[in-house]
Amino acid sequence: MTARVGVEGLARSFAGVPAVRDLSFTVGAGEIHALCGHNGAGKSTVVKMLSGQIPPDQGRISVDGEPAELRSRRAAQRLGIALVDQELSVVPALTVLDNLLLGDIDAPMLNRRRAAVARCRAVLDEIGLERIDPDRPLSSLSIGERQLVEIARALSQKARLVILDEPTATLSDVESDLVFAAIRRVAARGCAVLYVSHRLAEVLDLCDTVTVLRDGRRIATTPAGELTVGTLIEQMLGEAPHRLAATRPPDPDLGHALRIDHLHVPGRLADFTLTAQAGRIYALAGQLGSGASDVLRALAGLHPQATGSVELHDRALPLRNPVGAARAGVAFVSNDRKSEGLFLDKTVAWNLVATRLPSLGRAGVIRAGRERRAARSLAERSGLAEHRLDDPVLTLSGGNQQKVFVGRCLGRDDVHALLLDEPTRGVDIGGRAAIHRLLRSAADAGLVVLFASTELEELLELGDVIVTLRDGRTVGRYDGDADGATLMRDMTHGVNAT
Amino acid sequence: MIRRWTSRPERLLPTVSLLAVVLAFAGSPVLTGDALTTFDVYNALQGFAQLGLLALALGITMIAGEFDLSVVGTYALGGMLAVQTGQSSPALGVLVAVAAGMLIGAAQGGLIARLRIPSLPVTLATYIALLGLTSAMSGGLSKSYPNSDATLWVDRTVAVVFSPRSLITLAAFLLAALVLGRTRLGRELRAIGGDRRASRVAGVRVDRTVVGLFTVSGALAALGGALLSYSYASANPDPGLQPLILAAVAALLGGVSLAGGRGLPLGLLCGTLSVALLAQIVTTAALPDYTTQLLYAALLLGAIDAPGLRAAIGRLRARVPVRSS
Repeated sequence: MTARVGVEGLARSFAGVPAVRDLSFTVGAGEIHALCGHNGAGKSTVVKMLSGQIPPDQGRISVDGEPAELRSRRAAQRLGIALVDQELSVVPALTVLDNLLLGDIDAPMLNRRRAAVARCRAVLDEIGLERIDPDRPLSSLSIGERQLVEIARALSQKARLVILDEPTATLSDVESDLVFAAIRRVAARGCAVLYVSHRLAEVLDLCDTVTVLRDGRRIATTPAGELTVGTLIEQMLGEAPHRLAATRPPDPDLGHALRIDHLHVPGRLADFTLTAQAGRIYALAGQLGSGASDVLRALAGLHPQATGSVELHDRALPLRNPVGAARAGVAFVSNDRKSEGLFLDKTVAWNLVATRLPSLGRAGVIRAGRERRAARSLAERSGLAEHRLDDPVLTLSGGNQQKVFVGRCLGRDDVHALLLDEPTRGVDIGGRAAIHRLLRSAADAGLVVLFASTELEELLELGDVIVTLRDGRTVGRYDGDADGATLMRDMTHGVNAT
Repeated sequence: MIRRWTSRPERLLPTVSLLAVVLAFAGSPVLTGDALTTFDVYNALQGFAQLGLLALALGITMIAGEFDLSVVGTYALGGMLAVQTGQSSPALGVLVAVAAGMLIGAAQGGLIARLRIPSLPVTLATYIALLGLTSAMSGGLSKSYPNSDATLWVDRTVAVVFSPRSLITLAAFLLAALVLGRTRLGRELRAIGGDRRASRVAGVRVDRTVVGLFTVSGALAALGGALLSYSYASANPDPGLQPLILAAVAALLGGVSLAGGRGLPLGLLCGTLSVALLAQIVTTAALPDYTTQLLYAALLLGAIDAPGLRAAIGRLRARVPVRSS
């Protein structure tokens, strides 16, 4: 097999922190090559470099033996590199047809509608979107269908290398099967495919070769036939992490604070049931699209279609109503602190007290002194330096921003359940430990703490009870006896594991 | 088919607004007692020519998710430049005006795309600066244009109801419709308005397209200003805010979304025609001036797309039980 695409000595760091180090591998014509690794292993950085979105600091990329300069997406496309990005990258305001042709350098300057529609029809049929009219606005399609349109776009371009970054995270099994068939067809035509996924069974089934990354380095490149899910997990994790901290055993005196019964979110989460005690930390383990964060969002009232019954301290929690959920004592810390959390241009103090304004004044007038005292005590409680109270949140590190976000929910009599989605995303090690301590102390103070995460170390370190999810369904529940390999298997392999 | 048409606000809105205004125009003899003449239609189209290029310049930037406030400044400057440099050769005057408009547009586009500055402050600053510059050029006074041949030519009647000015404006709309609807560039422009990140990932050269867009917007506005000053035989250094407001009304009636990514040049054309026709109705009916403003406001409120209202109607419909046949 000749090398279609080769990388040699590729390296890239962000703000001095290396994300990819000295990476070399090749993808042959017609080969489906998987890139696997735990979160933060550097997969996305490799994808970004190969697709022309960021330049490497060092190293060479070659396409068909020729050295390639990938300065922009367009430059990469000229060399025949098509991409399905991790984030959905189609434009809702355009029609399906326009989206399929968008950015295609082979598309003629003047649209030839009849030819374009015929080609679009064929491309849609091939990926299983027979019922979709090319002239429909993309905004009328479901998220899964939009993802299929993006995949169809990449596969329909005359590419030499197609990169697919987590293409099936939001797809159903039936839809995924259609995507796999389409990928196999493209590979059979001699195109190289680089496939990034967390779903290991899928990887082993689809791919010819698997390269595993850990901490930005290549650990191994192995033919898929020689691997099992178990050996693959071993490669990804190295020595599998075990529990580090002693976790809190169940306390029969505490009773059940949070009772979630048959929680259902159409297309995202099926029949989730959990009974949680105050004072313990519950971890929901699952990759993107597993439903883990949907549990939290539904409890916080942010899923307009959620159904089921939830009780918090024996009072029914209103679903589909964010204000009602907050009134009932739910505090939610989103994984997107920039757009769903903090007021970035306001000061730390302002942010800390933003959710408790009614308690700081009388008749709607805020008392400056009381506000200041509240901010100070919260800062102390959440481990923020007092002299930073007047700095805009924007100037803080990711870890400190997250402390502000969590700190805002602490020390309130009216909060009974603390929900956190990826509590330490984008936070350095020191900040992480501080936030973990913060959550532990919140639990000790009698709150139910429920968090969703994709990071094994965090799940094992913090979760007293760990519930694993995949494809919207609960896979396993571990009360004090879990190890990394089991969790990883549940999260990536699901209930049908063999 | 009709359902599909009405489900796209960028088509429904301009159709509805133009239909309403055309009906009102046709019915205006009831108010005035005089029958409609071809001259009324000609006049309405002259009004369209006055506003059209400006509305198009603004509208195309809105489709791409930007907002070019500077169009009125370029419009004023273009008029002034054309009058000052085109005394012996009107074509040269137009050329100078359009070249200046393109230069200004390219500079703004470069700032907005390369430095990632939002378009509002950049174009607002340019608008103010250009008004200042135009006033400085003319000493703050209107500047008359003595070439009466050119003045007569731009407004002479062609095919009963048109003039070269309104035909040029129409041609610009048709060209824009062709580019936006039928070319790769048009698709990319709409994509940029819809989702810039996704467009970039898909391989659209966003920065370059934005620079080109503002260049075209500047050219259109300057051309509009030049033609207007030839028609009036004078250039006004301060056209006021009215043209900008009317252009925005035309764009909104034309189904262009403020959020970007939505809108069609033919919709813009309908929106602009609605605004021009409405002004003509008020004139022929000899209604007081303020009625024009009230009518614009009513039309805008009546025709604007309200997703919240549509959702509410959808919910009501869903509540009504479906009878099985």
